[in-house]
Amino acid sequence: MKKLTCSRLSSQFLGAFPGIARRWVLLFCVSCFSAYAQESVQVQKQIESIKSPVKWLQTSELPTEATESASTKEKPGLVSTAVNWFRRTDLPADLQIHGFASQAYITTSDNDVFGNSDNGGSFGLTESGLNASVRPLPRVLLSAQVLSRRAGEGNTGMPRLDFGFLDYRIYSHEANQFGIRVGRLKNPFGFYNDTRDVPFTRPSIMLPQSIYFDRVRNISLSGDSVQLYGEAAVSNWGTVSTQFGVFLPIVSDKDTELALIGALQPGHLQRDVSYIGRGIFETNDKRLRLGVSGIWLNTSYDPSNRLGDLIGPGTLLQAGALQFSPVYFSAQYNAERWTLTSEYAIRHFKYNNNFNVKPLDGLDFFGESYYFQGEYRFTPKWVGLLRYDALFTDRSDRDGSHWAALNPTARNGLEHSRFAKDITVGLRWNATPQFMLRAEYHYVNGTGWLSRLDNPTAEGPLSQHWDLYAIQASYRF
Amino acid sequence: MSLFHFSIRIKSSRLCLLNIKVYFCFALAICLLGIKAEVRANDRYEIVINTGVSEKALSVNSLRSIFSMHLKTWSDGTKIRVFVFSDDDQLHQNFSKEKLNVFPYQLRSTWDRLVYSGTGQAPIKVNSTEEMLTKVATTPGAIGYLWRADINEKVNVLEIK
Repeated sequence: MKKLTCSRLSSQFLGAFPGIARRWVLLFCVSCFSAYAQESVQVQKQIESIKSPVKWLQTSELPTEATESASTKEKPGLVSTAVNWFRRTDLPADLQIHGFASQAYITTSDNDVFGNSDNGGSFGLTESGLNASVRPLPRVLLSAQVLSRRAGEGNTGMPRLDFGFLDYRIYSHEANQFGIRVGRLKNPFGFYNDTRDVPFTRPSIMLPQSIYFDRVRNISLSGDSVQLYGEAAVSNWGTVSTQFGVFLPIVSDKDTELALIGALQPGHLQRDVSYIGRGIFETNDKRLRLGVSGIWLNTSYDPSNRLGDLIGPGTLLQAGALQFSPVYFSAQYNAERWTLTSEYAIRHFKYNNNFNVKPLDGLDFFGESYYFQGEYRFTPKWVGLLRYDALFTDRSDRDGSHWAALNPTARNGLEHSRFAKDITVGLRWNATPQFMLRAEYHYVNGTGWLSRLDNPTAEGPLSQHWDLYAIQASYRF
Repeated sequence: MSLFHFSIRIKSSRLCLLNIKVYFCFALAICLLGIKAEVRANDRYEIVINTGVSEKALSVNSLRSIFSMHLKTWSDGTKIRVFVFSDDDQLHQNFSKEKLNVFPYQLRSTWDRLVYSGTGQAPIKVNSTEEMLTKVATTPGAIGYLWRADINEKVNVLEIK
């Protein structure tokens, strides 16, 4: 009888959850446990595990690669010969040169991403970069990178200085470091912004657009700045690394203007002093990484000598200022085979009253973005990806209905431009350490992060529900 | 009537148990996925340094900081130069997992972040044991790792505290 009550209780308890929820909870417990199990694995256990029945999963790649000597894998070729020569030759002052080149093919069911992608696809995304660094003195590092990015209307592929700065290490003792950097620096926010144009360092062809907008990328990419950085050991737990910078943002491109002040204007956005900071805590085994970053970005519209020009029917855009101050929270867990990443951003937009345009003046709202991402390494060469990414331009108006109601004649039916929810599935193949191929599929509901330059109103209305397929090949040295 | 009631309950609880069993099998499968093979034992390799380096012993944290390319100078202020094998090399994998307690892919992403944001340099890759030995022996401030059998008097062994 007791037993019966027990089983009844358990079945009632489990029955209380809907089936799917129960499965998720169990899966969560399982993954927690497997994470714990992985942590406590000892060498002896590992030796035992060789005999385990899941050997088929380890595939032939792992053991054979391990025994193969690295020299036999070097294939003779012009590039690798050159790279090898360069590696073997002792360069002065520890000069290092690295670079990458990448080409993607993107096709969409509707709407354009990096070119005319909805009409048979496009090769519109080409990224390449070359960087060099030297250490003339033990405490001094000089580095610079030239980047070319051809991506739709917003980026023509014209090479530009991505970063170029001097790094002076003021203090260094064991895991504690402190220093200063001066020059053009990558803006440190989130986990991926610093290296967002290098395909090898991103989890997917398209980064989660809710946080790493490609539309307003230049404003957030790098700036001319002075940055202080520090790294400190936190007892035996891990290290905290922090960066704080004062910078002048790069706001001169058309895509940024279009995104921030609406229509293309005869004047330009001005570079005003802005601030950025990031702190990342990382455990010693680099399994857990937690980060907080914030930007306080100031820019203002300067109609220059064309003050009073007519923009649109009867609209005068005057000198106005705007502040963009997003805060990002990032978390990542790294196990041997899988990596879970999530980032959340709350983005504050504030426009002052001097634009003299009704839709912009006094605008003050919060945008919200987040994504959850899982990567699974089937083998070190094959990595799978699953992600859910959501963007809300105004968090108090998640479906855009309020925004549309403000101006029904112009905005009706455009509610979907105020949000985007993206489900991504991807697969990556690291063919060699230098060469990588990958493919991904996005199902997107909403058009919130689409570039207005790539999708001009003249081409007709955007579709709310759309698919994106992309493949990419990437080489680095 | 009540007997009928009971039998239903037993049935449902059995179904539930079966369900749980399936989940547990699934759980076990996932756990086993995470376990990886290891071929050689821990103590058959050493961390080697150039004979000109004054340090004789280092803490694990310092070692990790050096191989993460964050700590760039020895205590006497001279440059540290880090040499590694490729990511898929067995010794590199053992060294990174056992000595640094970090997976090789994490080291790679740490180095990539430094190189492509300009805030640091990558370690220098060598392709063979002989090259590692020569490089560490001849480069001032060099640090690397070698199987014990390949170590000779041209390099010093660094003790990890």
